[in-house]
Amino acid sequence: MSENFDRAPALHSTVFIVDDDAAICEGLCNLLESLGMDAVRFGSAEEFIADWQDRPGCLMLDARLPGMTGVELQEKLRQSGITIPIIFMTAHGDVPMVRKVMKAGAVEFLAKPFEQEEMIAAIRHAFEMDSSRRIEQRELDAIQSRLDTLTPREREVMHLVTQGLLNKQTASELNLSEISVKLHRRHVLDKMQAESLADLVKMTERVRKAQPK
Amino acid sequence: MEATRADRFSRAFVEYWLRPCAVAGFFVLVAFLWTLLFQHLVSYPFLFLFLGAVMGSAWFGGRIAGIISVILSTLTIDYFFIPPLYSFAVNQVAQTYTVTFIVCAFVMSWVSATRKRSETAVREARDQLELRVAERTAELQQSIAEIKESERRLRTLTEAIPQQIWSAGVDGDIDHCNQHLLEYAGAEELNGDKLFLLLHPEDEGMFREAWEHSRRSGEKLEGEWRVRNATGVYRWFLIRSEPQKGVDGRIERWYGTHIDTEERRRAEQALIQAQMELSDLSHRLGMGELAASIAHELNQPLMAVTANAYACREWLRASPANIERASTTAEKLVQESRRASDVVARVRALFRDEADSRGSVDLNSLIQDLVRLIHDDAIRRKVTIHVELDPNLPAISADPVQIQQVLLNLVTNGMDAMMAVPARRELTISSRSKGTAEVHVLVQDCGVGVNPEMAQRIFDPFFTTKEHGIGMGLAISRTIIEAHDGKLWVAPGNSGGSSFQFTIPLQP
Repeated sequence: MSENFDRAPALHSTVFIVDDDAAICEGLCNLLESLGMDAVRFGSAEEFIADWQDRPGCLMLDARLPGMTGVELQEKLRQSGITIPIIFMTAHGDVPMVRKVMKAGAVEFLAKPFEQEEMIAAIRHAFEMDSSRRIEQRELDAIQSRLDTLTPREREVMHLVTQGLLNKQTASELNLSEISVKLHRRHVLDKMQAESLADLVKMTERVRKAQPK
Repeated sequence: MEATRADRFSRAFVEYWLRPCAVAGFFVLVAFLWTLLFQHLVSYPFLFLFLGAVMGSAWFGGRIAGIISVILSTLTIDYFFIPPLYSFAVNQVAQTYTVTFIVCAFVMSWVSATRKRSETAVREARDQLELRVAERTAELQQSIAEIKESERRLRTLTEAIPQQIWSAGVDGDIDHCNQHLLEYAGAEELNGDKLFLLLHPEDEGMFREAWEHSRRSGEKLEGEWRVRNATGVYRWFLIRSEPQKGVDGRIERWYGTHIDTEERRRAEQALIQAQMELSDLSHRLGMGELAASIAHELNQPLMAVTANAYACREWLRASPANIERASTTAEKLVQESRRASDVVARVRALFRDEADSRGSVDLNSLIQDLVRLIHDDAIRRKVTIHVELDPNLPAISADPVQIQQVLLNLVTNGMDAMMAVPARRELTISSRSKGTAEVHVLVQDCGVGVNPEMAQRIFDPFFTTKEHGIGMGLAISRTIIEAHDGKLWVAPGNSGGSSFQFTIPLQP
């Protein structure tokens, strides 16, 4: 197992552990270190928030915490747009709570005491989710920065042509000549580094989906 | 009919003809004989005796006798004394005289008969009146005797009822107390205000307020107050008083009763106490919340143990093996294992804290308490509970709440076992003393019974045949009985079903 992890792509990922039981935090850190992973531990949800930096990794969160509970922390992170994958842990077999946190997007729910394999599977899954999410985010950021270079007129033209309007229709809609629409369209494709109109449509679609409703 | 008519005729004949004739004949004969004797002493025909005869006949014989005697007298006088003598002819001189006599005789006869008749009527009326008075008097005496008898019976009744009874006038002053009340208070009489002075000082104000209110409003009085007995001890009584109202709706008297509620109050309090203790225990024994929190308490250190155990293995597997980290991890393992066993010790302590509450326990009264406790449940489940207690059962040294819990478990199991049988749901709880060494309690049901292989496992923890059971009842019961150095087992019942039994030694 440990060898697998050493060669894992998310080598620089960190496991953030939040549990009020110091012995559990320590034990889990010890185990993760023995597996060659980076682990950081926090005694409470508040500590975790105070120390928050966007680093690749996942969160192992105890459901029952003094002060802000695990469930509340999950909700707060979601509201703040922080999408770190969360693995819940609990010593209580509380079915309604499991259902709630899983619905809210938790990666896995581990009942204490859990097996090493269970934990590793959950962490790997969480790391994969995190890294693909990060790649996605990077691409989105790139598209966004290219979008930012467009002029307002180019943006209008892009909006209409990606809706499937012809150059002629776009021209009449924007009160422009067909020639100038063609010109703007060329600029948009160049600036957005799109190979074709279909490529451009895909990009705008991704940005639209990523934007919070 | 014919005979009756003849009879009536003959009676009428005697009444209206023969008797008057005889009476008239007698008087006229007497008058005739006396007149014959005296006629020569007076110059003129002496006829006054005949007038007497007419009067006598009318008086004694009635009107008919009077008329007959007038006729007889006239004929006799005319024949014997009026000239010409010895002839019925009447000469010129004597005509007026004779007519005068006849008229006088008739008048006399009429007056005499009428007088006689009215006098008879008066006498009859008087007799009747006397008879009536006598009758009335007898009736009155009869009803007075009846009233006295019913009053005596009522008195006896008020003494026979095992209740304290008093009565008071409209002014609220007591004028009669029954013997029970007097005996309770140890007083000769409690008239006036004396009874109310027996109330507990704390209750007296409240009672007087309620009594005043009742007397003013006419509403009945009801409440529980303490009353002092002859030895100065206060007991709780339910005191009730109702007004007796007259036909016009006005209150005439007040009747009061005192019912002793001391025992009931004590029993209620004991019952509430027992219920509280039982619910407290069942709360502690109840698996739901407790199991969850024990699980949490145990799972926390177990998680740390597991994580460290895996870590230890990983440190040793690494190449080269990290002996230092492995050994510090092993140290953590030991610490966390100790923490887990501390949790187990704490859980055990939770169940053991009753150890010091042992005292002298009367099993019979525990059983009776329990029967009272489950009475409603038994009725609802159509189970008849029989109790056969050994009156000479010695007291044992035990924890009453725990033994109560065992009894409750056994009885509840017995009732559950009978739910499948439609008829004859009978549960018998009996106590016996087994020699001088131990007491023996049996709970027998008429349920489905326990087969031998089930009997092997029935006392195991988490063994249950019930849909909603947790399988801890009998396991806990056996633990409790064994903690009292006794034995708990199951045997086939005498009349089908099963018989759960336990013994507890007198000297543990």
